[in-house]
Amino acid sequence: MSAYQGLLNGKPGEKMFLLGNEAIARGVLEAGVAVATTYPGTPSSEVGDVLYEISEKAGLKFEFSVNEKVAMESAFAASLSGLKSFVFMKHVGLNVASDVLMSISYTGVRGPMVIMTADDPSMFSSQNEQDNRHYGHFAHVPVIEPSNPQEAKDFLKVAFEISEMEGLPVIFRTTTRISHMRGSVTLSTIEPPNQNGLFPKDGRSFVSLPSNAYHFKEELLSKMGRLGKTDFSGTLNRTEGDRSSRIGFISSGEAYNVLMDVLNKHQVNVEVLKLGITNPIPDAIVKDFLSRHGNVIIVEEVDPIIESDVRAIADLGFPEVSIHGKMDGLIPMSHETSPNTLESSLSKVLGYEIKAGDLYRSKEELPPRPPVLCPGCPHRATYFAVKRAVKMLKIEDPIYSSDIGCYSLGNYEPFSEADIMLDMGSSIGVGSGFTKATDQRIISFIGDSTFFHAGIPALVNAVNNNSRMLVVIMDNDVTAMTGRQPNPGTPIALTTGRSRNLSIENIVKSLGIENVKTVDPYNLKDTLGAIMDGLRADGVSVVVARRECAILRDNRMRKEGEEVKYHVIPEKCSSCFNCVENFACPALSVSNGKVTIDPVLCDGCGVCSQPYVCPFRAIEVTTNEN
Amino acid sequence: MRTNILLAGVGGQGVITLGMIISQAAMEQGEKVLMSEIHGLAQRGGSVTVDVRIGDFHAPIIPDGEVDITIGMEPLETKRALARASMGSRVVMSTEKMVPVSLSIRHEEYPDLQDIVSSISGNFRLRTIDAVSIAENLGNYKAANIALLGFALGTGWLPISVDSVRRQIEKTFSKKALEINMKALEEGLERGRSAQVETMEH
Repeated sequence: MSAYQGLLNGKPGEKMFLLGNEAIARGVLEAGVAVATTYPGTPSSEVGDVLYEISEKAGLKFEFSVNEKVAMESAFAASLSGLKSFVFMKHVGLNVASDVLMSISYTGVRGPMVIMTADDPSMFSSQNEQDNRHYGHFAHVPVIEPSNPQEAKDFLKVAFEISEMEGLPVIFRTTTRISHMRGSVTLSTIEPPNQNGLFPKDGRSFVSLPSNAYHFKEELLSKMGRLGKTDFSGTLNRTEGDRSSRIGFISSGEAYNVLMDVLNKHQVNVEVLKLGITNPIPDAIVKDFLSRHGNVIIVEEVDPIIESDVRAIADLGFPEVSIHGKMDGLIPMSHETSPNTLESSLSKVLGYEIKAGDLYRSKEELPPRPPVLCPGCPHRATYFAVKRAVKMLKIEDPIYSSDIGCYSLGNYEPFSEADIMLDMGSSIGVGSGFTKATDQRIISFIGDSTFFHAGIPALVNAVNNNSRMLVVIMDNDVTAMTGRQPNPGTPIALTTGRSRNLSIENIVKSLGIENVKTVDPYNLKDTLGAIMDGLRADGVSVVVARRECAILRDNRMRKEGEEVKYHVIPEKCSSCFNCVENFACPALSVSNGKVTIDPVLCDGCGVCSQPYVCPFRAIEVTTNEN
Repeated sequence: MRTNILLAGVGGQGVITLGMIISQAAMEQGEKVLMSEIHGLAQRGGSVTVDVRIGDFHAPIIPDGEVDITIGMEPLETKRALARASMGSRVVMSTEKMVPVSLSIRHEEYPDLQDIVSSISGNFRLRTIDAVSIAENLGNYKAANIALLGFALGTGWLPISVDSVRRQIEKTFSKKALEINMKALEEGLERGRSAQVETMEH
């Protein structure tokens, strides 16, 4: 794989068409970062994909950490050794790492350290749309917000300068639209990283004992106070448009992009203050702006954070300025800034008319196409077997406690095997909790990467508290949903020695769990048997359903030149529809009253040919004679 | 020049690759280009759209009603994406169907293709091609996205030159896949040049 070598080889001045996250990875190289760590999570994952591939050649130390908390601790250690460090994650990952963040803002850092959070307004692939700029205020650390791939790369370098200047960790906040936007990026020079780390015993303490923390706090506030007085004009902040306009706008991130398109479309020439640093809010620039405009509208994603700060500044010195935004209902409080919504929110105040749209409003409802488990996905077979086992044992009202990963899709029909799904590792914690509250049977589903990330402490808790539950660990070798990154359980061969292939079974058994079985979900009979045994047992039982991710398998088989397909023999198909109804592989569909298999989509897993799915044995492997 | 191009299909059909080639061809012609992608959970098997904006835009997402041309890899997904397009705008569509699981689990069949075509052509300027068959005949169904791109270029509805697209295709594919994709482009191009707008039915 050499998809990202271009990012390392690109010359200064060269223009590349880069994804926001690719631009950030290039920024990491240009900033001369020595150590980068992460736990993958959409929309941040591609930064790690790039760095994992090129780190060795770039002289950068890169780590897929077991979770975000450890990733941040790891990067912090590099910083304490005087090195430039970068840690990145999706927004909810920062919740996991927040325990670290809240203390390292107090201790401060030695080498510059930047923390990237990729937020997900409108929740394209997340459980919430929390605005992580709150962490800036919460932990008293600076927050930087780029608006496009070029800024993402260039602002990252400024973020490191700020961190170096004040000895503070700096939050670098992107959103899905920034991380997954492609645009032209002009490259600069790559700075070779300094890898000579040393933790000097110079008397400076990083021990957050209360007596120390008491003093750290005051120092922290004075650093932030100094930063608030720096205006960063020309690097992070700028104004554009008519300085004498009645209305002025303050904006940041993707909201700024949408705002500019609306203003340009309607040829509205007003002054816009674009902020690249939103914590601490640049005091002098904002005051200067408020002194010029009677009305100021703040456009930002998602929560009214700049707005709160601007209102506070206006309260103290500019009571005559009228401030508008989310807090007075002009702009919606939820979801990303949609161009059409913003256009209509601003139409009255800016006095333009929106031409009545002639959008195609078909009344017809189209069959939905939500994301589905891939053809050949081992999770489909596991969900099929669990549902069958529950039915065979006549278990009424089982509680399915699910977790974060591709297997979250087990929530959808026909499986409906998710009653609760919250956060990494919650399948076991919540599942075990239920055993205190109800006699219903508990089945927890958790993937291999999520198990390592946060499932292990919850499993220890379940054992220690004598919970009766079945934990199904769905091990597909990789962190699949975010792009098949390696985790501690990934086979060594897949990572050319950069993983240890830790044994989930050994970990589970070491807790004293006796009922532990490993099955291949492609073998429905074995899987069903193991699940039934687990459901019959007392205490915590574990089934490890192990089979490589279908995409990995595709890649492997393509390399090996092997292609297996299945097909339906129409004469044998009784049209019982058990396969489409209960197994629901995308390759299976109904045409002219019979089931057919799309040979393009068929992955050749063969699970549908087993009698649990096709009792009439109408599905067979395709040979050359067919 | 400002052109908003909406690409629609099913995850795994090569929609992002299509967007990359169009975007980089436009960039090569000196245009400013933004493109928006969907990654992660929605990547495989679900509805996917990619927005490509050529011209002086800031945001990567095309506002509803401002799509100039929709390029659809799959009929249902084309129709779904058209909820964001103004009536009368241009549409090129590949006619090969992919049955969504939501239908199969109820043993329901895919809607009649002709019905989809006439409902679109009644409201848009539609041109269709069976891009998958072309690609399959050339030896690899995966080249369907490039056949469709050739077709779209052939209609003259895309603001990019065939030569810059050819150069991007050369940069995109490995030696092995290049020949088929180039042939797919040429065949699509040929058909696009002679394609008629589907009859408007009122």
